[in-house]
Amino acid sequence: MKIYFQKESFLVQENFEKFSKVNKASGSIISFVGKVRPITNNKEVIDIEIEIYKKMAIIQMKKIISMLMKKYKILDYLIIHRFGKVKPQENILLVIVASQHRKEGFRFIEDLVDWLKIKITFWKKENYLNDYEWVEQKITDRKIFLTKN
Amino acid sequence: MKILYFAKLRQHLGKSSDSIKISDGKKISDVINELKNKNGNYRRAFDQVKNLQYALNCEYVDIEQTVRDRDELAIFPPVTGG
Repeated sequence: MKIYFQKESFLVQENFEKFSKVNKASGSIISFVGKVRPITNNKEVIDIEIEIYKKMAIIQMKKIISMLMKKYKILDYLIIHRFGKVKPQENILLVIVASQHRKEGFRFIEDLVDWLKIKITFWKKENYLNDYEWVEQKITDRKIFLTKN
Repeated sequence: MKILYFAKLRQHLGKSSDSIKISDGKKISDVINELKNKNGNYRRAFDQVKNLQYALNCEYVDIEQTVRDRDELAIFPPVTGG
């Protein structure tokens, strides 16, 4: 049960294999990878800068996980979220979850990412060729918050 | 009290934190008004960045929450991680 907020890139396969070895007894292991889109709003993305309020991000992430662990029967999880400069097609987020049955794992990941997008203190700035834009929280993400609350 | 700024607000202010003396019992809205009265740069930044959110000692709070001088207040636009 580990959470890493880090600047460094990560290898999905390596983390998945290590996680699988530790969780030999589980019936389901599911992974989700969030990546940088090369094009947004019809503009080519040069890179994105992810800012973090780390102390709060850790506290809020632990709270969300504690809530979700009561809701779903999860055996183990690994979460990695990057900050700093990230280039298109690179990985930003990795969530791996072990459970006895697949449904618990799928729901855990979906809820976790939904909560992450509205509660965890990361901010993205997209840099284009000649300008930049701070990414705005999507109305659809906020709606999820209302339905889950 | 320590005040932290993030993302677009930090960029508009040109700084990531402030340290100010406040009397206990003030609300976050009072603190922001004090900051806005400092100079035009603060006023512009707080007026330009919409839907600001507030956290006191790493917990989300409302703008009407009262604060103490030893608190850490963070002010930022809605988060966009993931």
